[in-house]
Amino acid sequence: MRQTYGKMLPGMKLPDLAGKLLVLEGTDCAGRTTQINMLRPWLEQLGHAVLDTGMARSSLAGEGIRRAKEGNNLGRVTQSLFYATDFVDRLENEVIPALRAGFIVLTDRYIYSLMARAIVRGMDAAWIRGIYSAALIPDAVFYLRVDVEQLIPRVIFSRGFDYWESGMDVFPGQDMYASFRSYQAALLAEFDKLSVEFNFETLDASADAKIVFAQLQAKVQRVLEGDSRREYLRESHSFNREYLHKVFEYAAAATMRRSPDQAVAAPPREAAAAHHNWSASPMSSHASSQNGGGFLQRK
Amino acid sequence: MDIGGNPGTNPRIGPFEVFFPVEGSSPRLRHSGEPGFPGRLFVVEGIDGSGKSTQLSLLHKWLESKGYGVVFSQWNSSELVKDTTKLGKKKKMLTPATFSLIHATDFADRIERNILPLLKAGAVVLCDRYIYTAFARDVARGMDRHWVRDLYGFAAKPAVAFYFRVPLETAIGRLITGRDGFKFYEAGLDIGLSDDPTESFRLFQGRIVDEYEKMIPEFGLTVIDATLPVEVQQAQVRQIVQTHLDRARNLRVRP
Repeated sequence: MRQTYGKMLPGMKLPDLAGKLLVLEGTDCAGRTTQINMLRPWLEQLGHAVLDTGMARSSLAGEGIRRAKEGNNLGRVTQSLFYATDFVDRLENEVIPALRAGFIVLTDRYIYSLMARAIVRGMDAAWIRGIYSAALIPDAVFYLRVDVEQLIPRVIFSRGFDYWESGMDVFPGQDMYASFRSYQAALLAEFDKLSVEFNFETLDASADAKIVFAQLQAKVQRVLEGDSRREYLRESHSFNREYLHKVFEYAAAATMRRSPDQAVAAPPREAAAAHHNWSASPMSSHASSQNGGGFLQRK
Repeated sequence: MDIGGNPGTNPRIGPFEVFFPVEGSSPRLRHSGEPGFPGRLFVVEGIDGSGKSTQLSLLHKWLESKGYGVVFSQWNSSELVKDTTKLGKKKKMLTPATFSLIHATDFADRIERNILPLLKAGAVVLCDRYIYTAFARDVARGMDRHWVRDLYGFAAKPAVAFYFRVPLETAIGRLITGRDGFKFYEAGLDIGLSDDPTESFRLFQGRIVDEYEKMIPEFGLTVIDATLPVEVQQAQVRQIVQTHLDRARNLRVRP
């Protein structure tokens, strides 16, 4: 059964969270977004419903964080807690409902980035960990690791140095380049520590994106093979959208013919149950078209 | 794997030496004498309708008249955070956990930006509601007692935390005549104690009172009998505050 890192939030129910929670971690410009943009269509092609989420994307605090970062007065404790608010809002209102509906949740960063950033900003490690002790333990954490030396050209030739990514609030006396180096090196050191403690699967992200993706695919496949619904998945060959489509098509045709002896062969009971759990599946394309918001978004 | 609740490795929270971390296992704020800064922090606590804001405002005027540099900070008033809180309340998006976190974020902003720098500068800081409000409300909403206490581990311990104790019915009587209806979160309607706002308010505030009562010994809150005449309460408050003012500076902001 799925577990948290120690604490439970009010109303949290874990036993029926059938989906998979996959985390991509890494410093800025490690290629997380690129990989998620490739992983998502691949998983959907395999027939999985996918939700992707990431930091500061909550409908509660996302906008507030963006606005707070525009100014020059976002303190370190405030910043850590604002991100925690954003995280828990997404956990409760996106991640958990999606897992309950059997989705694969791909999250661009998780508590580890948030903890690393807070620790680098001088927060007490036990304090920040205590806050995130209500987070779900993911099925896998893929850590895209790139050295600072390799990061720098990526940053320069993509979007340039950014105030927060350069940790200018942490190393205010330095210029952006020096600050970026110090900050990212401190983050990397923290990530390396966390990677051992939390069993990250480390990938060398300095390689070509396609090579990294192939490695990720293999790792993701291994996680999905551990799925409790696997028996059923195998029985039905590929429980994917194509299959569902055929079932629906056949059912519709049968109804139109009104011929009782040609009715659809009743799926086995487990299949019916699984089908019920997966009822959100046909909606995945809708969900994906709205950047993971979709039907999970609150009105 | 439990990542919380292992304090001791590094008891420091935040870059500020005046932060007072909570010990994970025994949820108490440490340090009562703040050797680091000359200012003094006084806070008032109690349920709505206990008269705490009236008392704080009278204390404020008295301290100013004596020449102290007095600054007032209200619960839930951070410029940086309050739009988010407002959005969450208006759209009823807040769960017990996010309700707790967004209020902690608000508090953190006020601590980092106002309260601590002012205490360092020697001001007398008055807070209408403090961390004890969060402890009472969040636990009444079902949050883990230790988790919430640890969350506020960065708070400075006040010189005196007054708790204005009033029977629930007295407070509700004052409120019902004073305004029309209760707000959604104020009445605890989010946790479904009752569909009737007044009844929900009563039940929710009852839980909050229970939490306050438990905190009196836990944090050494100074109890003021809020059924006494306003003048009598104020005299008691001033007498207690007086004994803690030795190091606060007469900043004479308003001569």
